[in-house]
Amino acid sequence: MTDQRPFPGIAFRLAGFASAAAIACASAAAAQDAGTVTIGRTSDADRYDPQRSSALAAAEVLYMIGDTLVTLSSDLKTVEPALAESWDISEDGLTYTFHLKDGVTFCDGRAFTAQDVVGSMERWLTPDGPYVSTWKAGIVDSVTTPDDLTVVYKLKAPSSGLLYQMAQFNFIIIDPEQAESLGDDFGVTAFNGTGPFCFESWNPNDSVVLSAHEGYSWGSPALGNTGPAKVDKVVWKIVPEEATLAASLQAGEIDASYSLPAWSIAQFEADPSVTLLQPEAAFRTHYLGMKVTRDFMKDIRVREAVSHAIDQSAIADAIFFGTVEPTESYYAEEALDYDPSIDTTPFAYDPAKTETLLTEAGFTKGDDGFWQKDGTPLTLTYYGFNTSREQAETVQGDLRKAGINLNVELYDSTAIWAKLREQTYDLYQMDYPYLNAGDALNLYFASSSVPSPNRMMWEDEETDRLLEAGNSAVNADARAEAFMALGKHLHEAILWKPLLLEKPTVAIGPRLVPFEPAGISGAAFGTGLNLELQ
Amino acid sequence: MTDATVFAARGRTWRRLRRNPMMTLALGVLVLITLAAILAPALTPFDPYETNIRARLKPPGDGHILGTDSQGRDLLTRLLYGARTTLLIGLVGTGFGALLGGTIGLCAAFYRRLDSVLMRIIDVFLSFPSILFGLSLAAMLGPGLDSLIFAVGLSVMPGIARISRGAALSIMAQDYMDSGRAIGLPDRRLLSGYLLANAYPPILTYTTLAFGDAVLLAATLGFLGLGLQPPTAELGSIAAEGRSFLFLAPHVSTAASVMIFVIVLSFNLLGDALRDAGDRRSV
Amino acid sequence: MFSRLIHRGVTSLIVLTGVLLIGFLMLQVIPADPAVAIAGPQGTQEEIDAIRRHLGLDQPVLLQFVWYIERVLSGDMGRSVINNASVSGELLRAAGPTIELLAVAMLWAVPTALGLGILAALRRGGIVDRLVMAVSVMGVSIPVFWVGLLMIQFAARTRAFPVQGRGGPLWTIDGLSHIILPAIALGLILVGPIARMTRTTLSESLYADHVRTARAKGASEARVIIHHALRTALLPIITLIGLQIGTLLGGAVVTETIFSWPGVGRLAVGSIIAGDYPMAQGAIVFLASAFILVNITVDIFNELADPRIGAKT
Repeated sequence: MTDQRPFPGIAFRLAGFASAAAIACASAAAAQDAGTVTIGRTSDADRYDPQRSSALAAAEVLYMIGDTLVTLSSDLKTVEPALAESWDISEDGLTYTFHLKDGVTFCDGRAFTAQDVVGSMERWLTPDGPYVSTWKAGIVDSVTTPDDLTVVYKLKAPSSGLLYQMAQFNFIIIDPEQAESLGDDFGVTAFNGTGPFCFESWNPNDSVVLSAHEGYSWGSPALGNTGPAKVDKVVWKIVPEEATLAASLQAGEIDASYSLPAWSIAQFEADPSVTLLQPEAAFRTHYLGMKVTRDFMKDIRVREAVSHAIDQSAIADAIFFGTVEPTESYYAEEALDYDPSIDTTPFAYDPAKTETLLTEAGFTKGDDGFWQKDGTPLTLTYYGFNTSREQAETVQGDLRKAGINLNVELYDSTAIWAKLREQTYDLYQMDYPYLNAGDALNLYFASSSVPSPNRMMWEDEETDRLLEAGNSAVNADARAEAFMALGKHLHEAILWKPLLLEKPTVAIGPRLVPFEPAGISGAAFGTGLNLELQ
Repeated sequence: MTDATVFAARGRTWRRLRRNPMMTLALGVLVLITLAAILAPALTPFDPYETNIRARLKPPGDGHILGTDSQGRDLLTRLLYGARTTLLIGLVGTGFGALLGGTIGLCAAFYRRLDSVLMRIIDVFLSFPSILFGLSLAAMLGPGLDSLIFAVGLSVMPGIARISRGAALSIMAQDYMDSGRAIGLPDRRLLSGYLLANAYPPILTYTTLAFGDAVLLAATLGFLGLGLQPPTAELGSIAAEGRSFLFLAPHVSTAASVMIFVIVLSFNLLGDALRDAGDRRSV
Repeated sequence: MFSRLIHRGVTSLIVLTGVLLIGFLMLQVIPADPAVAIAGPQGTQEEIDAIRRHLGLDQPVLLQFVWYIERVLSGDMGRSVINNASVSGELLRAAGPTIELLAVAMLWAVPTALGLGILAALRRGGIVDRLVMAVSVMGVSIPVFWVGLLMIQFAARTRAFPVQGRGGPLWTIDGLSHIILPAIALGLILVGPIARMTRTTLSESLYADHVRTARAKGASEARVIIHHALRTALLPIITLIGLQIGTLLGGAVVTETIFSWPGVGRLAVGSIIAGDYPMAQGAIVFLASAFILVNITVDIFNELADPRIGAKT
């Protein structure tokens, strides 16, 4: 073929037109609607039904669209009125009588009555129903209503933590009729609540839109604004990419978030347009659970050896950029009923002790630098969340340095629960929010919670006895005594390797007025009543 | 066409290839990367798995040519080991896909009765975007090297099957196929000795191009979170890991992405050069 | 011509059934039993058995496949095991944004590619030609996710564009500014192959007899290129674009994930990673069917535009 070059002019004109079309119409990032607050987060809930979800992602929205009977002061130590104006507890600790506020209405305009409380409790406590966290309700005898504004909550056994638990989102009062008629779609297509905001729409894995509940005035005075909400709309937006989430806060596409990556928080400290806020009290501990029924892990010396090999302060400093504290106990020292005499030395980073303990337990170090016993290498399996890959790799690296081989398997938060039921792990990584020692202890350690959430498979009579004693205590001293003793007992058993203590850090952009984040259940935006635009 | 002219044509192709500077460059780069990946343990003084998180995300320089990754490991070392994994997935995956696709294509051309059935099956496979196909396979089989290889192989297979069929069909029309049949050669001999031996150039060219796609697919799967479990280094996962530090330490994801880009580009240039050389031969 | 169209329709139908079969088998092969997933953490063996019967999972696989096709035809693709959302509903909701993204990506990429291809064809062997060829081979070699990451870095630094999500309707500034980055990232995949195909076909047709005749008759240069040469070259280009839809859909999966674009691709990746198999299956079958439908349309278009294509093969 010859190399002719006919018609150069037209070629340039055509190409020029095409590229002009391509680069046309650039525009700046658009401003948001006035009166709308957009909160960004990385993951969505499975459903917005307080009785069928245990996800933080569900809690943070549900606190805005529903109310509980009581709530907690911002130090998480005093019980405060919410839907219940006041309450009486009988001498034996079995009967709680709640006096409800008058004039409370649901989003659809219907008046809230004691019957809704009964309906909510009945649905939640349906035997064999698909409902979660029902242990929080205590062992309920009956929930009855002498009149429209009184609820009598009768227990079969005293529950010292009941009022604290009642502040949790699972106790949010629902519209029982709606729940009945919508069935599996309740909390998916609609949710009728009494909260400061109303559920407008949910587009799963994209956004939840809430609009202000007109005439709302029954918020708890101890927590600031009692209502109505100062903004018209709250949009909870899913941004799965952490880096994108951080960028969109800087770009003003979202107004606030607390699922920001640690590196960005470290950066935002120097950014005048972003304000960082932390609640007065909020407890969330990251830990590694150890499954005590596995061949290697049933030896407490191996568990302690693993614990000494992991450097939690390096994780806090490097992976979390110093935004969290390293910890050596299962729950925070500031939490109610923590026993300061607990010996936390087994949880300190001390690789020399790993060496001693493994030798003691009959392991020898092979030529490759890895421990083995009777020809079997000390190889452990670790289950973690794919969002905590870095932490998993650091733990893996630490154990490798100590001569322990770790197989890491990471799963999505929706898939990991099923994997954990397969029970082929030695270690698993998790973090959990709690209100106080009793709450933390009740969540994970009872024999009746095997295999889940007692994923350590820890079955122990002493644990059950002390738990029972603490739960049925009718005064604060007896409760504290039992829970302190239990805390000590469980720390001695080395069931977890505590890693980090995290307080949520809320980052807000220039549109929002700074406010005090909430601490309950880790849902830092609380009821949303304190959200206010500049 | 006699044997002599065939060889003469091949000789011309080869000379043309050697004259193509792009081809030389691409081949050189590939040989270099492959050698570096194979010899990684001897080339780098660093352990690809030894973490040191207090020295993480160091920028290039200062003892580490490309800096360190999110665990404080030497990034260049991780990239070399990562290239090992990625190239292995690409190589074995494409090999598997070429074997399967080539067999299907040749059989479809040779046994005409099978043709429409086989081609409809190939059409079905072609209808799935390869990334989605790989994603669902990797998710179904669970994370691991073998499931990634399988996913990559099945994704490149349909394209190779089509090309092979096309190439084989044109050979089937040649007189020597009929002569071979006439002298009573068995199908096996006809398929391998005649059909494959003459139809392979376009198949080889396409497979070279498919190799680039396979590496890109493997890296994308790793990027989307369906790669290998830690601490195995794989280029796509390194890019994905670095994406959390896009603003803090952009060198991590950039270095991994550039490496993927260079590998894929080299394969595509090589494939193009082969194609061009082949094209001109037929003119 | 009609018999060819019918033949094409029948084969497409067969392929479509095959796609459905693969989608169906995916659910059969996966290690997770949907009944166990539906029964949830507290599910007892009796409950699981009851659900299996209720879902017809105890019936022969072939019968189940027939039922599955029936359900799909009536628009029921099952429900998510994670949040009980209807798969068809979610797909319908996600389809709009994906079509929007593909359309905008093609809107800039196709003219750009045509322009580049024409340029290269007219000055074949020159600097521009080499540049176009280099750009096009680079375009197919570059990881889409890297392009996305670079754009996010750029957008966050300059704050010129939003970096995630979908804005208001497309015709508003908000909607437009949200779609620009993902559409550019996605469109880049197309530019290379189309520019290349344009260059090849156009440089052939520029010397075809009827084009030479037109030029000899004294038609203007622009007229020769647009009315004669390009017109002949257009059919293979359109066919290529149809085939590229598959690559484009694959690219959309990555682009949507990086830019949080609420389309089918992101839905597919999210549900695959989360183990939500009914949703994943729905999304994959949807994308594959879309690919087949686009190609049928392209074929029909080709048949109508140029009956000779039918006669040739």
